[in-house]
Amino acid sequence: MAAYILRRLLGLLPVLVAAVLLTFAANRFVPGDPITIMLGDQGGNVQLERKLRAEYGLDRPVTVQFVDYVSKLAHGDFGLSFRYPGVPVTQVIKDALWISPLIAAAALALAIPLGIALGIVAALRRNTLADTGIILVLVAGLSIPNFAMAAFFVWIFALKLGWVPVAGWTSWRHAILPVVLLAIPAAAYLARLARTFMLEVLQQDYVRTARAKGLTERLVVWRHGLRNVLVPILTVCGVIFGGLITGTIVIETIFNIPGLGRIAIESIFARDYPVTMAIVMLFTFFYATINFAVDVLYGLVDPRIRIEARS
Amino acid sequence: MIASTGSAAEVIVESTGFSDFLRRFLRTRSAVLGFVLVAVAVLVAVLSPWITPVDFSRTNMAFTWEPPGKDFVLGADALGRDVLSRLIVGAAVSLVVALSVLAIALVVGTAVGMAAAWYGGWFDALVMRAADITFAFPDLIVAILIAAMLGPGIPTVILSLALVSWPGIARLTRSLVLSLRHELFVDAALVCGTRPLTILLRHCLPNIVPALIVRASVGVGFVVMAEATLSFLGLGVQEPLPSWGGMIRDGLPALRSDPHLALAAGVALGLTIIGFNLLGDGLRDLLDPRIRER
Repeated sequence: MAAYILRRLLGLLPVLVAAVLLTFAANRFVPGDPITIMLGDQGGNVQLERKLRAEYGLDRPVTVQFVDYVSKLAHGDFGLSFRYPGVPVTQVIKDALWISPLIAAAALALAIPLGIALGIVAALRRNTLADTGIILVLVAGLSIPNFAMAAFFVWIFALKLGWVPVAGWTSWRHAILPVVLLAIPAAAYLARLARTFMLEVLQQDYVRTARAKGLTERLVVWRHGLRNVLVPILTVCGVIFGGLITGTIVIETIFNIPGLGRIAIESIFARDYPVTMAIVMLFTFFYATINFAVDVLYGLVDPRIRIEARS
Repeated sequence: MIASTGSAAEVIVESTGFSDFLRRFLRTRSAVLGFVLVAVAVLVAVLSPWITPVDFSRTNMAFTWEPPGKDFVLGADALGRDVLSRLIVGAAVSLVVALSVLAIALVVGTAVGMAAAWYGGWFDALVMRAADITFAFPDLIVAILIAAMLGPGIPTVILSLALVSWPGIARLTRSLVLSLRHELFVDAALVCGTRPLTILLRHCLPNIVPALIVRASVGVGFVVMAEATLSFLGLGVQEPLPSWGGMIRDGLPALRSDPHLALAAGVALGLTIIGFNLLGDGLRDLLDPRIRER
């Protein structure tokens, strides 16, 4: 098991190296000189320009800049922002750091029970009107993009019914619509999986045995069915969580939530490359960590995976 | 599982034929519904130069925020532009971007996958490593990275979506070609002195086309959704060209007074993606019953 974990950990290395290289390249070789933009109407001020270049480390050779970038990254330092001259990137994103993972975690907590319940109901009522109805709802939930669904939800629940606030981030009520909207596609995906797995499980010998020995249908489903559906479901939850975290980029933009995602989009338009790249690094890191955790979990639950990975 | 895929595609072609395929397709109600939705979207897109009521980019300050009515069937937007015309042209923009992405991803993915399978060695290792690394980046993050470098626009959308789409196709192609390499007809061609390129294109490619079609048809919905998402965020299609994602973004602030702006584009986008997904799922189940959803 230790060897398996180590191998997975080493597998993360190329991804992180690629992320570091790409973000550095994007920071340094984007069109337009950031210092010139920062100087604005002070363009002739050579002294200020020299001072800024030194402060941002842009007066040194690219190789030195790269070594500096990497060593600073290792200490959790993303350099200085372009939009707010002299302000460290960490300062800009500090307050936003936990908002995206929090929203994503809440959405996952909502999506798991909802998805599993829908999937199991559909599987138990296979080929009935309820099953067909649920499948259609799932296709819609997977197909309609968050922001399009958000338009309908805001219109109905915030504007027509007035149940929830339209946008903003000052009370827990502001989190309801974003979390629900984020959870819908995840729940739909989980429900499809749960339905497929449940249909498979219900055909297994041990389910037939359970029925044959006279267990009630409820016991068969809950004791024998659900447990065996949960294992494969839990292993995809990590991947879903990774998707949810990046999904917050769209959700935060819609609802004006001051999280990492919205800051990433804002900083692209403000040409604040260090902030954009810091958030790209963070999201990649989140994603890689989650995938690593899922791999380890999978190896723990299913020994075959550990052995297969060796060959 | 891999070894049988190529020959299974042949079996389907041999034993069923088109009329039988059509009969089974028509029996799958969800696939037919998907086909109808897709057909409407494609028709609207193809006919868009002729069926728009007015020029989609013509602004008219006398009709800003005009509600739906006789002159403007779906009303007018903040610049007095006809929403219906923009919706119709938006279909064309969306589908052209999606087709470009799929074309690039298919050509690159198939070529790279075939070469990796045939030559193996360091090239194979390099390609599969690159595919792994691409998979490790969230799609939206790749798009943000490229948008930061190239600036927002259609090239950014096409490049970033093609970049995240080719590895899946390359992996599929590689595994299919690897299984075909040991088929008798490949050995026969080799013995006859056929060049590798000819073997790959003439003998291997036709065998993997059904699987590629299924893969592409399942992917269209994703690409349309991703393009709309990027355009919604402002990273994709830029004014004056209309895009459904951009129309929803512009319509959101006016949701209270003029909900039709965002909702019309939302309905068009939602129905189109539902159509592609239903059609893709249906084709997958019909053409390749073993690649069931997992």
